Amino acid sequence: MIIGWNIFPVVAAIVVLLATTGAVVALRRKERSPLALGFMVTAIVVMLGFIAMLWMTLERPPLRTMGETRLWYSFFLLVAGAFTYARWRYRWIMSFSTILATVFILINILKPEIHDQGLMPALQSIWFVPHVSVYMFSYALLGCATLLAIVALATRRNDLNEAIERLLYGGIAFLSIGMLTGSLWAKEAWGAYWSWDAKEAWAAVTWGLYLLALHVVPTTAKGDNKAFYIVIILGFLALQMCWYGVNYLPSAAESVHTYNQ
Amino acid sequence: MGFKNNIGVIVWIAVVAVAMVIMQFVVGDFPVDIFRFPVNILALVLWLTLLGVLYKQRTTSPLMRFMLSSRSLWLTFTLIAGVGIWLGLERKPSSDAWVVVASMLYILSHLIIITLRGWRNARGMRWRFTLLHLGLIFALGAGFWGAPDREQLRIAIDSKPNDQAYTMAGEPRILDYTLTLEDYDIRHDAKGMPEHYEAQIGIDNEHHTIRVNHPYARSWQEKIYLISFGRSTTGETYCILEIVREPWQWLSMAGILMLIAGAVMMFLGGPRIRR
Repeated sequence: MIIGWNIFPVVAAIVVLLATTGAVVALRRKERSPLALGFMVTAIVVMLGFIAMLWMTLERPPLRTMGETRLWYSFFLLVAGAFTYARWRYRWIMSFSTILATVFILINILKPEIHDQGLMPALQSIWFVPHVSVYMFSYALLGCATLLAIVALATRRNDLNEAIERLLYGGIAFLSIGMLTGSLWAKEAWGAYWSWDAKEAWAAVTWGLYLLALHVVPTTAKGDNKAFYIVIILGFLALQMCWYGVNYLPSAAESVHTYNQ
Repeated sequence: MGFKNNIGVIVWIAVVAVAMVIMQFVVGDFPVDIFRFPVNILALVLWLTLLGVLYKQRTTSPLMRFMLSSRSLWLTFTLIAGVGIWLGLERKPSSDAWVVVASMLYILSHLIIITLRGWRNARGMRWRFTLLHLGLIFALGAGFWGAPDREQLRIAIDSKPNDQAYTMAGEPRILDYTLTLEDYDIRHDAKGMPEHYEAQIGIDNEHHTIRVNHPYARSWQEKIYLISFGRSTTGETYCILEIVREPWQWLSMAGILMLIAGAVMMFLGGPRIRR
């Protein structure tokens, strides 16, 4: 039997079931749960097995089509969620990564046409998967930090600061790695690490605002942290511009980053 | 942090901004070409020496006291965001505009001063701090000081040898070698979208294959990129190549790798939580 996209819905159901069980177990336990990690690692192994078999069936790395790259997003999101849980014991992180991974899995099931949709030559690079998947995970962490910052700003609670700060550090670390791998890729594709086109300029704005948030981190639990929360929210707004908002600007016409026009 | 306390700083920033705008209108973009090697190296040495001398006077110099304050931190990030938003909204952004050059010089100066101080104070996370800040200085600094030495040329080649390239401004440049399109492989998918671009090119008597994302490194400072294909009025296929000479690229790469290492350490180490 040829292992390909034909069996993906079955594999996806098993992966989502295992990952959801792991995420729910983690949510219900105060301490780090080996059982939760066990379910999540099994889900990751099943996903990795499917990718390996798809690789052998296709006789090439499954990195070319949109569907194949979304498969990697789902895989990396589960890996990053499990790693973050194992490292810092955030009970909710695996729920978050599972929901995001499920979204990409569902897109792959509901839009089978993307399985055969080719990547244009500029996107056929070893940097594509790490660059995009790392960015996706950073967006997830920074989105969560923004939600907490809004709650903290509205309710004047200071007890969320530690969670916000930890999410911010993880999110900015991934955001930086995503941006820097992008610059290494840009050098190989277009000859310049950075060219200030619209997407890159908004990436710099986003990065600058998040770095500012890191530098105005609250110094005391009882301090006035308004500036900290507001900069995080502004950073997330800039991130929306960088992610998709830039496509609606006149400057996008000159951008080398628009692949869907 | 009120307006009255910062009136002096605001006046200074306004004066510099107005001066940059006037220069932009009078002479156009910053004359980057004046700073080609070795002028940029001399200017770099002078700038670093000046920063070193000023840093030694950090307790007495008002400029240094400002640059080491939280107000300078806000100014640096405001400049990054301001320059980014401006360039992000421009259809044809110019990173050589006076205000961009001045902002970059201030950001780099601030980074160096902060790194000098931070190296002494970053207890327990010195490596992370140094990798992140020094990496950023290398990456930004190589782009800034190396810009005058960077050359980006385009050339259209077909089956006949050609050595006539053009700068991005359209000025002709004669290469010290010839380029020929010897063979090509262009494939499209069922929907007509480009799927594979590959060109076999001749560089004088050598033969090389290049693809998008797979440039040919002609020397330690020069790479040749495949940009696109086209068909001439006579029906002959030609390809567009880009030649990039960037002697400072390795310093940029060192900075980027240091930043990646710092970001990994940031993820693994997390924040220093104050309880």
